[in-house]
Amino acid sequence: MILNKTPGFFIIQRWLSEKGNKPFIFQQETWQHIINGRSGLVNAPTGCGKTFSVFLGAVIDFINQYPKDYKTKNKNGLQLLWITPLRALGKDIHRAMEEVIEELGMSWKIGIRNGDTSLSEREKQKRQTPEILLITPESLHLLLAQKHYPEIFKSLKIIAVDEWHELLGSKRGVQVELAISRLVGLKLSLSQQSKIIVWGISATIGNLEQAKEVLLSPLFQVEDPEVRTPGIIVSANAKKKIEIESILPDEIEKYPWAGHLGIKLVDKVIPIILQNKTTLIFINTRGMSEMWYQALLNAAPELAGAIALHHGSIEQELRLWVEEALHTTKLKVVVCTASLDLGVDFRPVETVIQVGSPKGVARFLQRAGRSGHHPDAVSKIYFLPTHSLELVEAAALKEATKQNFIESREPRLLCFDVLIQYLSTLAISNGFLPGDVLKEIRSTWCYKDITNEEWDQTLHFVTAGGVALQQYDDFRKIEIIDGVYKINNRRIAMRHRMHIGTIVSDPMMKVKFISGGYVGVIEEWFISRLAPGDVFTLAGRTLEFVMIKDMTVLARKSNAKKSMIPSWQGGRMPLSANLGFMLRKKFEEAGELKTEKLKIKKDIELIVLEPLFQLQQYLSHVPNENELLIEQIETKDGYHLFVFPFEGRLVHEAMAAVLAYRISKIIPITFSFAMNDYGFELLSDQPIPVDDSNVYELFSPENLLNDIQRSVNSAEMARRKFRDIAVIGGLIFQGYPGEQKKARHLQASASLLFNVFAEYDPKNVLLRQAYNEVLEQQMEEVRLRTMLDRIQKGNIIITFPKRLTPFCFPIKVDSMREDLSSEKLEDRVKRMQLQLEKIV
Amino acid sequence: MPAPFKFILNHQTLWLSHERCIFWEDQKALIVSDLHFGKSGHFRKAGIGVPQNIYKEDLQRLFSLIQFFNPGRLIIVGDLFHSHANKEIDLFVKWRNDVPNLSVELIKGNHDILAEKYYQNAGISTTTGSLTVDQFCFTHDIALACESESQYIFSGHIHPGISVSGVGKQTIYLPCFYFGETFAVLPAFSKFTGLSKIRTDNSKDKFFAIVKDQIIRIK
Repeated sequence: MILNKTPGFFIIQRWLSEKGNKPFIFQQETWQHIINGRSGLVNAPTGCGKTFSVFLGAVIDFINQYPKDYKTKNKNGLQLLWITPLRALGKDIHRAMEEVIEELGMSWKIGIRNGDTSLSEREKQKRQTPEILLITPESLHLLLAQKHYPEIFKSLKIIAVDEWHELLGSKRGVQVELAISRLVGLKLSLSQQSKIIVWGISATIGNLEQAKEVLLSPLFQVEDPEVRTPGIIVSANAKKKIEIESILPDEIEKYPWAGHLGIKLVDKVIPIILQNKTTLIFINTRGMSEMWYQALLNAAPELAGAIALHHGSIEQELRLWVEEALHTTKLKVVVCTASLDLGVDFRPVETVIQVGSPKGVARFLQRAGRSGHHPDAVSKIYFLPTHSLELVEAAALKEATKQNFIESREPRLLCFDVLIQYLSTLAISNGFLPGDVLKEIRSTWCYKDITNEEWDQTLHFVTAGGVALQQYDDFRKIEIIDGVYKINNRRIAMRHRMHIGTIVSDPMMKVKFISGGYVGVIEEWFISRLAPGDVFTLAGRTLEFVMIKDMTVLARKSNAKKSMIPSWQGGRMPLSANLGFMLRKKFEEAGELKTEKLKIKKDIELIVLEPLFQLQQYLSHVPNENELLIEQIETKDGYHLFVFPFEGRLVHEAMAAVLAYRISKIIPITFSFAMNDYGFELLSDQPIPVDDSNVYELFSPENLLNDIQRSVNSAEMARRKFRDIAVIGGLIFQGYPGEQKKARHLQASASLLFNVFAEYDPKNVLLRQAYNEVLEQQMEEVRLRTMLDRIQKGNIIITFPKRLTPFCFPIKVDSMREDLSSEKLEDRVKRMQLQLEKIV
Repeated sequence: MPAPFKFILNHQTLWLSHERCIFWEDQKALIVSDLHFGKSGHFRKAGIGVPQNIYKEDLQRLFSLIQFFNPGRLIIVGDLFHSHANKEIDLFVKWRNDVPNLSVELIKGNHDILAEKYYQNAGISTTTGSLTVDQFCFTHDIALACESESQYIFSGHIHPGISVSGVGKQTIYLPCFYFGETFAVLPAFSKFTGLSKIRTDNSKDKFFAIVKDQIIRIK
């Protein structure tokens, strides 16, 4: 079928031209593929008509089918399922779609399904399924937990996945893969003539082709060769012009060597805010965004009323108000976190300021893209360094932007926690037959390599609960009745439903005024350190902690000048490999700069930093791209070994553990270590035996996997990973309304459960997943190996500075410490004891 | 079994075992706390597949301690059972019937919510509040104990853990026995329990950490 000869295209084109628009080429291309029944991926940034590419394709297809009565034809059943990662996005897309349907005079209904959807709206959707359903991955799984779900999806034609680049690489992405596999399988079992097609919409990432393959993988359970043809990538080719400028401290010598905040530069920010209509200031963590908000108000009190704060712990209503005010130019400046990374465009935003490292090229570009939303406008972004060395990152980001050097998103593999959750979901609605469901599950990218043994273990875990004492066991979850796997216990079913939507996070507590009124949420561990009367800051307010009652923090307003700022655990993203690569390049350029070798175009940031590099060179060394710098320094804290691979916190954490383990094989020694995105530190109370003779061996990629597993920390890291897994896998109940008391005896910390499984059921699939996640996500094993190969091919430079250098200082100050020891626990306790006594 | 650690308190001989119990030699009494029997079963009934071997090992540990010390009485300072009745608890009752001459005495804790009949059938005598034996007093939660004039109190409930730290910002957590001036807190017997950190700032207090199969005195 040729698109521009179809009635549907004719009608849509006419409607567009009435509004003075015409379809973009990539939109027409997508429409053509959709009416041909092909699947694929649209690669387009936000704000250039990506929604219309897939949505109008569905409309055209429908009009082509019913050219005479497409306007009056109603109750057609679900035609288009629109999966979106953000609830907020659903609302805006709903508005846009509804407008189109109305102007076309069609009778389609558009429904939203997410955590906020009211009961009455759900009932309405149950009575009459809308033609388009906008849904989050969690809510989609909740639908699959309902008995009548096959009825809802039987007429479905198109599954669209919006912002696929955001979902890919997360467990929510795996949820999407599983849901698609079920919907495709359902369609097959109904043996209808029509088929399902799948379209993803994604911003540019390094592995776009793979992103497409992951999304379309479940389609391949279909035998039909036409559907099996590989999908297509349609690209919008819209490249935005981006201007990057660093905010430079006046005197680099006086700018701090370490820090995360950058508030010293607040006076340089005010003029930028005043010059522009609206400015977004991106801060990496919620705690720091609170501090910046206060600092801006102190520096420019006239901003009061025109400044707002937006982060994940702020009450939703307030956040929505901020978003609305952004649309209507009521606000001059919004201090925000990643909470504003996604979502609809705010047209008035003219400028973006990034405070501190954005950690990755993709994220930086995404944030830059939040400004300058007119078709030909330039996106303007300022980079504000929080410590002097960070300025190099601005130079690296500029270079990466120029080369379009964007990170990949690695899809997740074999997430047993999500699988266990999914099986329970199916067991609640209509039950499942293992053979049938395994075929569907294996069609997904995530589980394509699941072995029969792993599958059997997973089934055994949900039906028999692992290791048991036969006649003394009451285990009850999925029961097998006539070969069908079902959950019949209502209480277990209810708990499971409550948990599908759980977004894994640290336990949060609500904060309310003692006089009534909700302020926001705060992490439990922060509150647990406060005593009544202590003052803290949340949502831009200064509050005095009064007490905790019914899992709620009660507080009152305070006028205290000093307050504690909560630090949230999230937001500690590691530096990406791409940005790390560029950074090493820039350091080499900086090194050449100081020796006057380089006379070509220099980055302003590197020129400004010259005094710092001179000092670094004087005390130690500025490494080239193919050099690894190691500094050994002795201070009153002990013996320090600093290593600078520039590979991000996570790789450094892993490398520190491996290195500590390898050194500890030489002599019994105990370390604690610290790291940041540039390097890591081993600290010991005895000299660390690393020198020219053994250093290449210590950084060898040989036996890496073994050494990782033997280094104590893989257990510690797995323990931390296990928290999320335990929640998703249904081992931890976070409690829910009305049953808090009854569930009390079911409380166990993830850490305790981890110990229990590690000792008594070490082969458990969830435990193994924790270790795998440590390797893949936490240690980034592939990246670690690549780094070691690189180091082997290059030179290792060891220096012995007399005092702390500009490079090592931030690590020394940033102490996220871990332990590794090759001493026996008993010896260690006795020795620590001795040290304690010496101090006393 | 490695030798227990001898500790004299008020002229009484106490043996602290790394298996998380105290043998009071003068009275031939074995003192334990927070056994939380049936906890894994309670989780399993709710669909959480906690391996049951943890319970089996706790049970085996208790009964091999009984064989080792051969006590006349077993004093449990609360939280013998974790929650409602389940099949796991039946297993305990079966084992308990194998030692009919042992007097099992429970001072009820906040988790001991079973009906009185249940304890009777299992041959367990119960006390609410506190139990006095010779010069010592036993209660579950020290925070709820009334002011006792001269008697030294043994308690449980808080699952005490001690953090040991040294140079290089190193820290490890260990279960421990706590002996204060007027009362003691036992470590939780069950391995299916967490630790809560206790304060170590009073120099008159004594702490005995359990380090694998040894007892090490801290401070």
